[in-house]
Amino acid sequence: MTEAVGTKANPIAFDHESPQHAENWVPEFAEMRSKCPVAWTDKHEGYWVATGYEAVVEAAREPRLFSSHKNFSPETASGHGGITIPFTPIPRGLPVESDPPEWGVMRGFINRRFVPKAVETFREDARMFATALLNRVIESGEMDLVNDFTGPVPAMVTMQLMGLPLSEWRQFADPLHAMVFTPKEADNYAEVVAGVQWVFQRCAEEYMRYCTLPEEDNLLSYFAHNEARGGNKLTLDEVLSFSNNIIIGGVDTTTALTTHGLTYLHDHPEEKKRLMDNPELLPFAREEFLRFYTPIHGLARNVTEETELCGAKLNKGDRIYLAWSSANRDPGVFEDPDTINFDRESNRHVAFGSGIHRCIGSTFARMMFEEMVAQVFARIPDFTIDYAKAHRYPSIGTINGWESMPIRFAPGPKVPCALEL
Amino acid sequence: MKVTIDPDRCVGQGMCVLYAPKVFQLGDEDGRAELLVAQIPPEQEDAVIQAERACPEQAITIIREKGSIVP
Repeated sequence: MTEAVGTKANPIAFDHESPQHAENWVPEFAEMRSKCPVAWTDKHEGYWVATGYEAVVEAAREPRLFSSHKNFSPETASGHGGITIPFTPIPRGLPVESDPPEWGVMRGFINRRFVPKAVETFREDARMFATALLNRVIESGEMDLVNDFTGPVPAMVTMQLMGLPLSEWRQFADPLHAMVFTPKEADNYAEVVAGVQWVFQRCAEEYMRYCTLPEEDNLLSYFAHNEARGGNKLTLDEVLSFSNNIIIGGVDTTTALTTHGLTYLHDHPEEKKRLMDNPELLPFAREEFLRFYTPIHGLARNVTEETELCGAKLNKGDRIYLAWSSANRDPGVFEDPDTINFDRESNRHVAFGSGIHRCIGSTFARMMFEEMVAQVFARIPDFTIDYAKAHRYPSIGTINGWESMPIRFAPGPKVPCALEL
Repeated sequence: MKVTIDPDRCVGQGMCVLYAPKVFQLGDEDGRAELLVAQIPPEQEDAVIQAERACPEQAITIIREKGSIVP
C-alpha cells in the first residue's frame, strides 16, 4: 500500500516562497485543500502546510499545542520557533511571537492602544496624510500608487502611533517596503537591510529620549514610563521586539490590501461606481478584499506535542504553515470563493488570523483603508493603472502585494491641508 | 431573541460589529465584543444571525425564545 499524499513518507512538492507559488497559488491551494488539507513538504527543512479552513482555525485556536514562541540568540544569530518559515535570524516580535501566559502580559500591556476608540483618534491624521500625499502629486497627473500613496499612509500613521518624527517618513517607508520583496541575491540587499536596521535604531534612540521627558501620547513614550508586569518596565530588547511587531505588521500589509482593492475597482468600473454611490458598502467591500486578497498569505506555528490535525499526524518540534489565504478560499465555507461579492453574507474570513494572536492592528488597517479609498474617490476617481509597468511581489509567502504600480489621473488642484510634504 | 458572547473564544475580530452595529461593540480595554442590549429587538434579529455566522471564532450563541419570528 502506498502512503497517502502529503505525509512525511510521501511529501508534496510545495514551497510558499517560490515564484511558482506566487504565480499559481489559487489552483495549487485548491488542489491541496481537496486532497490533503494538512500536508508535509520537505522544503525549508520540512514543514506542514494547513490549507483547509477547519485545519487553519483549529491550529490557530490551540496555542498550547501550536506555539508562536521564538528563541533567538544574537551571539550565534540562530534559534528556533517563531511565526516565519524559514526561520528569520532576527529578534522575536512581541506580542506575536509569545505564548500564554507571557502573551497575556505583553498583549494586555498594549491592547488599549489598538481598540476602536483609540484608533478613531488617528483617523484625522490618516486623512491629513492621505490629503498631503495626494497634494504632492495631484498637479502632475501621475504617481506610483504604492510608493507615493498606499505605502506612505500606513507608514506615517505607524510613525505617529510609535512617536517617531514624521519628517523621516521617506527613510522610514522605503526600506520597510523594499525589505518585503528584495531577494537576498540583489545588489541593493545590504542597503535595504541597513535601512531597516536604521528604522529600529531610530526606535531605540527615540525611546531613550522619551525616557528623559514627561510622558507623551505615543507608544515609545508609553513604554518609557509604564510598567509592563510586576513593577518592571520593558527591557530595551523588549521595546524593540514590540516595535518590530507593530511596524512590520502595520506598514506593508494595509498597503497590499488597499493596492489590491484599488486594482479591482479599476478593473471593474461598475463596481467602483456602485461603491462611490453607496459609501455605506465600503466596509463590506473591504472585508471581501481582505478575504480575496489576504495580505498576510500565511504564518507559522510550532508543534509542542504529538497531535492530530484533520487526519495528519504531527510530531513535537514540527513546524506548520497556516495559509490564511487558502482558508479564505475554502468552498466549504465560502460560496463561490474565487469571486468578489460585496453582498456576501456572513463573511467569516480569517485575514487577520484567528485565535489569541488575531492581528492587533486590524482596526487600524480597516480605518486606513477607508481613508485612502475615500481620498482616491474624491480626488482621482478615474485613475488608470499602467499594468505593463506594475510589479507584483516575486514571492508572496509572507505578504501578497505589489512592489510598484504607476497610475495616471486627471491633474487636479491641491487642497488646503495642515501638512505639507 | 437573546445572545451571549463566549469571552474565552472572542478575540475581537469585529465582524459582529460590521453586521450588527446596534447590538455589538468592541470594548475600550481589550477590544473584545460587548453587547449593547440585553434583549435583541425584532428588527435586529436578521443582523444578529449574520453576525453569529460571520464570527470566525464562533463566539456568539443565539438563544431563541418562544414566539420568535426567526426559526
